Amino acid sequence: MAVRLFSLSLPLSTRKHLVNIGLCVGLIWGSYNAIIGPDLVSELRDFTGRYGAYLLLISLLFTPLSKRLNWVKRNLSMRRNIGVWGFIYAAMHLLIWITLEFYYDWELMLDEIAGNLFILLGILAFMLLLPLAITSNHRALKRFGYRKWQMLHTLTYIAVPAVIAHHFMAQKSDTLEPLLMGLVLVLVLVWRYRNAR
Amino acid sequence: MPVKPSEITPEKVYNRRRVLIAAGLGVLAVPLLDKGYGMLQQKQEEKLQPLPQVSSQPNVQSLPLEPTPYDTVTGYNNYYEFGYKKDDPVKAAKTLITSPWSVEVGGEGADKPSIYDIAEIKGEHAIENHLYRFRCVEAWSMVIPWNGIKLADIIKAAAPNSKAKFVRFTTLNDPKQMPNAGWAGGPYVEGLTIDEAMNPLTLLATGIYDKPLEQQNGAPIRLVVPWKYGFKYAKSIVKIELVEHMPQTTWWLQNKREYGFYANVNPQFDHPRWTQATERVVGELGRKPTLLYNGYEEQVAHMYPDLDNRLYFY
Repeated sequence: MAVRLFSLSLPLSTRKHLVNIGLCVGLIWGSYNAIIGPDLVSELRDFTGRYGAYLLLISLLFTPLSKRLNWVKRNLSMRRNIGVWGFIYAAMHLLIWITLEFYYDWELMLDEIAGNLFILLGILAFMLLLPLAITSNHRALKRFGYRKWQMLHTLTYIAVPAVIAHHFMAQKSDTLEPLLMGLVLVLVLVWRYRNAR
Repeated sequence: MPVKPSEITPEKVYNRRRVLIAAGLGVLAVPLLDKGYGMLQQKQEEKLQPLPQVSSQPNVQSLPLEPTPYDTVTGYNNYYEFGYKKDDPVKAAKTLITSPWSVEVGGEGADKPSIYDIAEIKGEHAIENHLYRFRCVEAWSMVIPWNGIKLADIIKAAAPNSKAKFVRFTTLNDPKQMPNAGWAGGPYVEGLTIDEAMNPLTLLATGIYDKPLEQQNGAPIRLVVPWKYGFKYAKSIVKIELVEHMPQTTWWLQNKREYGFYANVNPQFDHPRWTQATERVVGELGRKPTLLYNGYEEQVAHMYPDLDNRLYFY
């Protein structure tokens, strides 16, 4: 269905708006479901984290898939929207952790970070994603020049692995989903390594 | 579209990009390295005796317990036979038929084995009310007003002999009633030492909030051991056996390094992947410190002579 929608002859900017609206509604819908559920904190935290990870992984799939699939190629510039939305979900995830889960207890948070490798990985990922999100616009691209900008944005190949490792280590036992995500990511990274330019 | 000369990346740049991409693969390997390191450490710990000193903390929580709302207790559950997500059981468990229900009590350690109807259990023994803290190994907690009988009553009635060193609990495993019955490759098995089973804190719960247990909470009868992590609380029990050897429990078989037999709550011993020092009270903001033996040190500490032995605390 998605394929069909995006091969319609809607202008690119309209398609982008549709994606933006869709992901914004998704965020609201997910939050609403969490609010009516039995445990607001964990549901909000897990929903934003999981879908943020999906979006970031999807943003990395654009380039390799665009070499084979025409409809991906036509939507290549959508990659930035998806990536920025991935960051927005991740930022919500962190914000929920700080406010709802730890209620601004900084000391306890530091303890938790020090004792949990997976939380450290999550924080690392966020710190890498932050400059990328800030520079995900045309003005920044112009200001840096393409090469420097591209070099900076190569950091995404460290940030997203950190996200997936974080997701994997947060599971009690059901690790099939993060393992599959990791597998996809390995394929992307290997392809990227071989086709770096 | 022809490539403009300015778009061709110099070799130096793509080599630098390659370094970053390779580093990304390295980051992805961190969980594996962490696991390997943990296993190595565990091996060394097993060699070294005694284990690192841990001081016993005084029981700081003497505040009155505030029970978690009924809708939260019945809406936020781990019951993998009905799905992995916390709100799966409340939706999927209605298919579980809890009446008629019988519980078989036996094993080589029981001189008087018997099969009880659930109504008999409720009728023959005094139903007690206990407000207990509940601490999940995933570091969340609730406070639950249980109704149930003492497990000790059932065990005494089975006339335990000298072979009764452990108690093995087996829960229902019926693919017709449970959409995810196969998750562990067999029925969910839990166990206690005979001393733990005879401890007056240990209950076979048949209700919460003076209502019969809901299916998602382990109806019609489940184990309650408040000083242990929640996965010990076997749900929908069909068999209780007094046995000579330590039972192989389901979560231990799933991951021997992370979920042991004793699983007593101890904030000083972390889960290999997260700390157990604090807990998130479901439905509340912020976290609070976790207590040794979940706050039941007075009643249970005598059963574990060695407070430094990790064996007892995961």
